[in-house]
Amino acid sequence: MADTPVAPARSVEPAGPDQSSVRAGGFSERTLARLFIAPSIILMALVALFPVVYAFILSLNEYTRRQHVGFAGLQNYADALTDGRFWESLRFTLVFTVTSVGAEFLIGLGFALIMNQAFRGRGITRAAILIPWVIPTVIAAQMWFFMFNVTPGFINNVFGLGNFNWLGQQGWATFAVIFADVWKTSPFVALLLLAGLQTIPGDLYESAMTDGANALQRLWYITLPLLRPAILVALLFRTVEALRVYDLPQVMTGGAFNTESLSILVQQYVVRTPNPGYGAALSTLSFVIILGVGLVFVSMLGRQLVIGRTTER
Amino acid sequence: MSDVTQEATATQTTGRQGPVKARSGGRTWARTGLLVIVLFWCLFPFFWLIMTSLKLGDRALNSPDLFQGPFGLDNYASVFEQNFHLNLRNSLAIAGMTTIICIVIGSLAGYALARLPMKRKILLLSGVLAVSLFPPVALVPPLYEAWRTLGLLNTWEGLYLPYTAFTLPLTIFILTAFYASIPRELEEAARVDGATPFQAFYKVIFPLAAPGVFAAAIIIFVTAWNEFLLANTFAPRNPEIAQTVPVAIAAFTGQVEFQRPVGIITAACVVVVIPMIIVALLFQRRIVAGLTSGGLKG
Amino acid sequence: MRIRSAWLSLTAVAVLVAVACTPGGDDGGDEGETRQLVWAIGGAEAQPGGVHEQVAELWNEQNPDTPIRIELLPEEADQQREQQALELQAQGSGFDVLGVDVIWTGEYAENEWLESLEDVRGEIEGATLPGPFESATWGDELWVAPYNSNAGFLYYRTDLVDEPPTTWDELCEEAISVAEDEGINGFIGQGARYEGFVVNWLEYYWSAGGELYNEDQTQVAFDTELGVQATEFMADAMADGCYAPGFNTAQEEEARNEFQQGNVVFMRNWPYVHSLLEEDEEAPEFDIAPLPTFTGDGTISALGGFNNGVSAFSDNIDAAKEFVVWAATNEEAQTMLATEGSVPPTMASVYDDLADDPVMALLGDVLGEAKPRPPAPEWNEISVEMQRALFPAVNGEADIQSSVEAVRSHLETTVEQ
Repeated sequence: MADTPVAPARSVEPAGPDQSSVRAGGFSERTLARLFIAPSIILMALVALFPVVYAFILSLNEYTRRQHVGFAGLQNYADALTDGRFWESLRFTLVFTVTSVGAEFLIGLGFALIMNQAFRGRGITRAAILIPWVIPTVIAAQMWFFMFNVTPGFINNVFGLGNFNWLGQQGWATFAVIFADVWKTSPFVALLLLAGLQTIPGDLYESAMTDGANALQRLWYITLPLLRPAILVALLFRTVEALRVYDLPQVMTGGAFNTESLSILVQQYVVRTPNPGYGAALSTLSFVIILGVGLVFVSMLGRQLVIGRTTER
Repeated sequence: MSDVTQEATATQTTGRQGPVKARSGGRTWARTGLLVIVLFWCLFPFFWLIMTSLKLGDRALNSPDLFQGPFGLDNYASVFEQNFHLNLRNSLAIAGMTTIICIVIGSLAGYALARLPMKRKILLLSGVLAVSLFPPVALVPPLYEAWRTLGLLNTWEGLYLPYTAFTLPLTIFILTAFYASIPRELEEAARVDGATPFQAFYKVIFPLAAPGVFAAAIIIFVTAWNEFLLANTFAPRNPEIAQTVPVAIAAFTGQVEFQRPVGIITAACVVVVIPMIIVALLFQRRIVAGLTSGGLKG
Repeated sequence: MRIRSAWLSLTAVAVLVAVACTPGGDDGGDEGETRQLVWAIGGAEAQPGGVHEQVAELWNEQNPDTPIRIELLPEEADQQREQQALELQAQGSGFDVLGVDVIWTGEYAENEWLESLEDVRGEIEGATLPGPFESATWGDELWVAPYNSNAGFLYYRTDLVDEPPTTWDELCEEAISVAEDEGINGFIGQGARYEGFVVNWLEYYWSAGGELYNEDQTQVAFDTELGVQATEFMADAMADGCYAPGFNTAQEEEARNEFQQGNVVFMRNWPYVHSLLEEDEEAPEFDIAPLPTFTGDGTISALGGFNNGVSAFSDNIDAAKEFVVWAATNEEAQTMLATEGSVPPTMASVYDDLADDPVMALLGDVLGEAKPRPPAPEWNEISVEMQRALFPAVNGEADIQSSVEAVRSHLETTVEQ
């Protein structure tokens, strides 16, 4: 209590309850809001707007490799939507996203609950939990390639599996890629949820315990609902990241055995067999898909974060 | 301080109903078992990384046997012969700048979204999110040309500016969520005490959101630190200038064409992970200790 | 207290960064330096101490007025190409000499990134092996100067095999029986889904007598029957255990490791493996032989390697051109590639001079029979299509006949344009 922050009382203008008309330091709250948000918007617009618009324009043009042929209208989009590869990679991307984000959420939640406890060896455990996540993805992908691959075959060696070909067959290749991603990014979810756990007031648990609620009930009725914003943010960003997965399948399988993600496909048409128009159309399509998924989360989150609270005023 | 919270959460995870006193031996065993599994899951690949980084010679490096020697520190020596300390410097500076800018301007935006009156917030949030969703590989060619014209290739700015822009959405979402979770009464109390909205923000809200701020900071730092595509395009060479750690590691080569430099890659990786863990732990301590239970009950 | 330490941590990071910032910063990069040529090339041999750098030093000794330095590109070929492409697409003069993979010639020419070398054709053609020379031309024009080459060898265990097989079927029979006796695996090559898979497949296809295009690459000469034969051979080898279990995820290094650890009887790989095996005292006894064919006559191999191109946007085209011609025709520089490095030279006379070296002797023979993949602008697309069609077929997941026909019809789309 002693260190509860208390604002110094040197402000000249007393604040009233009618907030939106309050003038503070010469600014109304609405102006202040604009001022606060402006730097972010300007910076993001400066860096991101131009290339996105550029890519969209490219997507309306026809190219033969890098040579510009002419205006194509929506032909590139039509080509993409009728290309079986697009749908195959979308299918893998969705399977990858649902399973890996689901597993990451469960494991991340477990990690967060563990990290949140006081016990001997907590420091080491916390460090250990974070290690997978601080290894650069490109390197982690190579590492898991070594671990899973028949040559040299570390996993097979440790578990005595002989020459089991993890990366060289349907199904298991997908499993290996998902496994590596779950290993790598569960700590991300854990960190966000750990931070979220800190905002849950302890007295809620105390009163719940007095009422005889067991641990599962407390988890279900207190922790999870109050953690909802943090969970949604974590799931949102994990989901949009997973929908753009590139390094892991590229390095581990090269997209073989139905592990070609949307981003691998995009990369092929931007870099490997360059066709700027088609590549940009594929990019825009995956952008629209990812944005669609993102907006579902935003609508769930948004009400909680902003609308509910502002409209009640 | 937050002992109450921790104790409460602790009990709640470990599973059994009943008063705190009734913790049994079986429970301790279960807990230890769980910890062992967690540690194995997280550390086994890292253990492989360390063992491999210590192996010398082609034969040992490519053997599936973790304990096949000879062992030595030569790989680490080679890492630093290649100016890796300069890569570390570049990465530290670039990730650090990204973190600072993101937190400073992202905090303001997050606060505005969570607390201040504004029209069309959902639309704004959606727009912010959209920024980070375009497949990065498709953004590279136009950005490269722009950076070329602006002279931003091979500079720190050329990397931390786009990193900031592309990480701001995540920052803003995290911080908005955390600001929104802070009870309004605290802020109002501050207002009653005569604070301006700005003072209310940085004296009351910002510190209370510390767990979120530090979680965001670690996440931004690690994301920027690990970024590969832009770094490899905008500053692919020259550790003296702006080449970052992942790019440097990916640029290692074997002695001869085709040969894969497993030893030196793993050694560099271990070198990178250790300071990262220290940074993450320092920040993370702030996540957990950041909140006073007193503040929230206020 | 808490607030203060929160701000403190942030300030600490800020200070750290500020400290880190002081020594570095940007000094504008490469602009403004003296008229030094820039040679954009990647890989192990372009690293400090590598043979490309030694070649550059040799040039600098002989040509102090137009010195050259290496701008080191990443290890992976795709990334090298992308970094060159970004600079060239922006018409940047950052690179004067480009290390161009043998399969990029046509693409670079089509994009008008290269200065034609037709005016020095005679000089280069006279000194160069025919296969590598072919890889440097596109549309009957010389675009790049040959620099280093590569060809596949058959590595075999001399402790298990007396005579190297001369036909693929022989190889597989022997691989299976010896592997069974020894409790190891049979044969490994590059079977993962990447460019190396196409190289391996083409070696079977070519050695069955197949061709992709006619002489001047205006018509498809693809033979579906031979394509089926090559693909069936690979699919059978996968199924009956001729190939080692990790074949379909193996690139060069995986194959080398299997062989070096003594896990396989035969291996298809590049010459670089030879010196690494010799350095390893525990490696099995081995020897090298030309790759088999289906008939037992002759040998065939896909060509690899890098040529040197002159960037069309170079500020110093004349000097750059002199350098690439020199690097293709200077005996000392070309000899260096073989003696100091692991990249086979393209100059014919070097092979005569170094005929005592077993690797060079075999390379000389094999390179004479080696074929470049068509250096057409659309090669990358063709390669991707071949991987997508043939890899599943080899792995028993797609019908062989229709997969091979898919390759044929894709090839046909490339000449219709």
